[in-house]
Order: sequence, then C-alpha cells, then structure tokens
Amino acid sequence: MTVGASTQITELAVDDHACLTYGEAEELFDLTAAFVRDGLSGGLKVLWLSDGPPAQATAELARRGVDVASAVSTGQLAAAGCEGRLLSGQAFAADHAMGWLGGQMAACGQEGFPGLRVAVDMSWALRPLTGIEQLPDFEAGIATALAGTTVSVLCQYDRERFDPVTLASVAGYHTRSVAAATYYADAVLRICRQYAPPGIRLAGEIDYQAGEPLALALAEAIRLDGDLTINMSQLAFIDAPCTRLIVDAARGLAGSRRVRLVCPASVARRFASYGVGELPGVGLVTVDER
Amino acid sequence: MSVDPRRGQPAGRSSPAAGAAAPGAAAPPGSGRPLILDQLFAADSLYALRAAVAAHAAAAGVPARQVPDLVIAVHELATNAIRHGAGHGRVRIWADGGALHCEVSDDGAAEPATAAARWPAEHGHGLWLIRQVADETSLRTGPGGTVATVSFTLPGRPG
Repeated sequence: MTVGASTQITELAVDDHACLTYGEAEELFDLTAAFVRDGLSGGLKVLWLSDGPPAQATAELARRGVDVASAVSTGQLAAAGCEGRLLSGQAFAADHAMGWLGGQMAACGQEGFPGLRVAVDMSWALRPLTGIEQLPDFEAGIATALAGTTVSVLCQYDRERFDPVTLASVAGYHTRSVAAATYYADAVLRICRQYAPPGIRLAGEIDYQAGEPLALALAEAIRLDGDLTINMSQLAFIDAPCTRLIVDAARGLAGSRRVRLVCPASVARRFASYGVGELPGVGLVTVDER
Repeated sequence: MSVDPRRGQPAGRSSPAAGAAAPGAAAPPGSGRPLILDQLFAADSLYALRAAVAAHAAAAGVPARQVPDLVIAVHELATNAIRHGAGHGRVRIWADGGALHCEVSDDGAAEPATAAARWPAEHGHGLWLIRQVADETSLRTGPGGTVATVSFTLPGRPG
C-alpha cells in the first residue's frame, strides 16, 4: 500500500468532484467528519445524504468533534436520506437526481452561503432498484455541474461491496480520489491516518513486525500541528516494542501539544504501566472492547 | 518459588543462567499433569499463538482481566526466541500447584556468539514487561538454547 497515493480529505478544492472509497464504517465516518468539519469552518453549507438514518449520521459527526447541534440549528448543516432526493421509490433516474442537486446549489446561493459541500453515500446503487445503469450518467452530470462553481461533492463508495467494474466506470468522472492514508493493512492489522480528530488509528493486533510502518505513521502525524489522537479503540493487542514507540512519541510531545491515547482497558493498563498517564498533556482514555 | 518440573530443583527468579540445559527436550512437565497447550511458533504464526494462549488460558480458569497478561508474557518470550534465538520455538502450558505455567523454549541461535546482550531488562522492554505481569519468571539461556517459564497464580488457590 502506498501512502498518500490519493488526495487527502483535507486537501479538496472548492469545486472538486471527489470519490471516496472506504473499507470499513470507521473510515467512512472519519473522512466524512473531516469533510464536514472543514466545510463548516470555511463557512460553507454542508449536506450529507447518508445510507443509514440521518440521526446516526449526525451522531457519528458529533462523536468526532463536529459541532452538529449549532450547525443544524442555523441551517448550515443537514443530514438526510436519499429517498425522495436521489431516488423516487424504488427507482433511480439520473435527471431526477441532477434536478435535486441543482436545486440544492441554487438554494445555497440564495441563502447567502459562499459555497456548498455535499457528501453522498452511493450505497443505494447496490440495491435492486430500476435505473441503476444510469449511475455513470449521474456522475457525469455532477462533473459537468460542478466545474467552476464553489460546490464540491464527495461520492462515497464502499469498496468491499461495489464491484471493481462499477468503481472503474465512475472513477473517470471524478477530479480526485480520496481514502484514508494507509501505512499497513492486512487481515490482522490496519494502521492508517485519522482525520477527525487528527492522528493515527490502529485496529487489530500489532507487534514488532509492523514497527516500521507504525514509526512512519507516528512521524507523519507528529509533523502536523495541533493535538494528536492515537485511536486504538479497535486494537486487541500491542506488544512491548510498539508500546514503547507510542510512549516515546507521546513523551516527545508532552507539554507542547496534547496527546490522547484511546484504547480498550487491557491496552490502557499496558500504557499506564509505562507511566504515560503522568506525562503533561497526555490523556489515556479507556473505551469498551469492541 | 516454583519447582522446575524438569529438574526437581528450585527454578531461580529471573536470573539468566548460562548452563548446559537441554531446553525443551525433557519429559513432559508438571509431574504427569497433562499439557493444556503444546504449540510450535515462528514469526508468521505469532498471531495464532496468541489466540491459542488466550483461549486455553480462559478455559483453564484464568480471569478475563488477566488473560491479556499471559498473552503478552508468552508473546514477548516467543519474540525473544524468534529475534535472538533459533527463529522459532515451542510453547507448552500446564497447570500445577494452583498456578498456570507457560514454558517457551527454543534451540538457540545459529550463531551462538550473538547470545550475549540479547535481552535488555530495562524499563519498557519485553523482559521488564513480563516481570510486571507474571507471578514468577524463570529463564535459563545458553549456547544450547533458552527455556523460559512464566507462572500465573490461579484464583481461589494458594500461590
């Protein structure tokens, strides 16, 4: 896996038509939260057509530091489902969906926002609907509609469920491809960048054999400014050398930046025995084993 | 102090002893106690080893909160065998005297000269961590290989 082969979610331009592929829900919610957060902080209006219930979508955003309540109350942020917007009943029609998007773009301008960000979960295209074959037409329409505007669209594709042919058929209509920068991925372990809140995420089990990608991930995360989160909430095992790598990184930042280690109880006990909880500005947060 | 099941002599506490021990070659440990686990390992099977240790420790009555301690102890000993020993080894686990005993053995590095300074016991390193979590640790190492045993007192029984 190469690091940074695609664009980072934090580097999108105002009129990008970006294609996000995700392999697990955590990746989808993390990158979308960063997309929403940056859009809101830039004064843009933000819409998310999620696959699950809108209440779950906003809850996931709030968990990752997005001020959902305030943004929703002012109308700057809205989460909704795709029924009635992209879909009518059990049917998809590209021109109907484009009509919806055009209406949103016009409304946004009338409401006085300088721009618009729309995140669209494309999982509806996996259902047995009529009109699915118009998906490429829809993507082509988005590409045409965005160019030169202050509207960007993030199309979200689950790469575990979409077949490669479909993904290839829509890839060309996007200006960017986006995924979580990944340092290591196999059946047992995943090390990737986290964006909301910024830091790195480890999932599975890690030992000394993945020490180099872990060191690289830490070094790149440290290079960015601001607080650092090391999300180990889905990490079931970490050995002594990898624990030391993380402790040494935290120790180096202690006092100048805040570092949060988020992990299950068994892993937290490991870090506590290394005295990491006593370092200034370093917090050890225990979560339930998942 | 636990009795070294192979030799009938007290096993020292965490003292590397250069000796002519024949690691792992003796009769089954534990005075006839059945082995709960007998598994070979190498670098690419550490994940499976951890899973097996966790499952068998839980089944043997180790409290859920303590199972990760056995797993990390066996893992660090196995890592030592892989990185500084033969590159592969064997884990045997049995219950005796109110404790669970985990023995990790290997036949020694191809280049015995590298046996020196193989394992710092400094804060944060593997051996340090093992001593944090295990009730007893014994380590015999020499040109013929290494046999390390960690013991964990089972609840509700005298230590």
